[in-house]
Amino acid sequence: MKTNQLIAALAADTPAEPGMGAGLARWLLPALALAGLALLTVWGLRPGLAAALMQPAVAAKLALPLVMAATALTLALRSARPEARPSVAPLALLGAAALALLATGLATTPPAAWEQAWLGNTALACLISIPALAVLPLAASLLALRRGASTYPARTGLLAGLLAGAAATALYALHCPEDSPLFYVCWYGLGIVIAGTAGRLLGPRLLRW
Amino acid sequence: MTEAEWAALLRAANAGDARAYGRFLHAITPMLRGLVRARGGSLGPEGCEDIVQEVLLAIHLKRHTWRSDAPLRPWLYAIARHKVIDAFRARGRRVDLPIGDFAELLPADPGPDPTEAGDALRMISRLDPRSAEIVKAIGIDGEEIAETSRRLEMTEGAVRVVLHRAFKRLAALRERHLE
Repeated sequence: MKTNQLIAALAADTPAEPGMGAGLARWLLPALALAGLALLTVWGLRPGLAAALMQPAVAAKLALPLVMAATALTLALRSARPEARPSVAPLALLGAAALALLATGLATTPPAAWEQAWLGNTALACLISIPALAVLPLAASLLALRRGASTYPARTGLLAGLLAGAAATALYALHCPEDSPLFYVCWYGLGIVIAGTAGRLLGPRLLRW
Repeated sequence: MTEAEWAALLRAANAGDARAYGRFLHAITPMLRGLVRARGGSLGPEGCEDIVQEVLLAIHLKRHTWRSDAPLRPWLYAIARHKVIDAFRARGRRVDLPIGDFAELLPADPGPDPTEAGDALRMISRLDPRSAEIVKAIGIDGEEIAETSRRLEMTEGAVRVVLHRAFKRLAALRERHLE
């Protein structure tokens, strides 16, 4: 087949597909909706959620993962362009913000109570719930990013995992009754890292092109 | 043709203008050929043309990843670099293409226009018969979609769907071929 014959066939294949952002929204929004539905039905909202959110430490455990999810989403989309050299630096800044929260937690909790605040009563549930809630958003993000052309598939996978983990964490924060930063910075953070690692491992397999 | 003109063509193409898209692919091909030949002379003109066609197929399937407000040349070079490295690796060779050095994508002396490339037909023959027939009818016999759809008694939409899936399938076949 001559190259100009191939070009003739390629040129007949119009119209083009939707852009990456629209494609990701198409997969991710239903996945997030399903994860949200699962949270409402299986986990349930914590009692007195609205009142609790008036406390800064509780608002922070919802706001920080939301900002993290939005940041990872932007970075993941950018990294799907072939010429991009994706950076995770903005997420490192958010990690630093989380550590600052942890420091305030340590400063406002008497040392004798640190261990109880850190372990809480639901650490294991938290560690299972966040990755479980992240499964669908991660699958949806990776599927959508397969349409992209990442030349750094491991990093794009990592960003997809962090996006899914952070979104799952924001949902779980609506259920979780533990309000000490000592608890949530550690266990939420670990949940997000687990989701990120899953994405990091799946990226090179799934995002090849 | 300048980068701005290429970008205008691809912008029109991504908005659904098939003629602009054909012109865009024709316009970038000599430059891709120059890039591949500069690295892979030992593969012979036919071997190089196989790689050029692989790059064109990748550009086709990933054209929605170009943002119409972004510079075109880095995008084009990144796709070409990725596929050229893949293609050389598949042939048991290494090639050195530095990241971001898209000065090489200056419109170069195209050299003589070849040539039959061998891989494409071999891959097309591994598609299901209907897809293979449609790709060949439109590419090799130069049929319009409307003609093909009349001849095969399919709707134009159905022909388009088969054609689009055929290109995705071809890319997947190449991918498997590489492993």
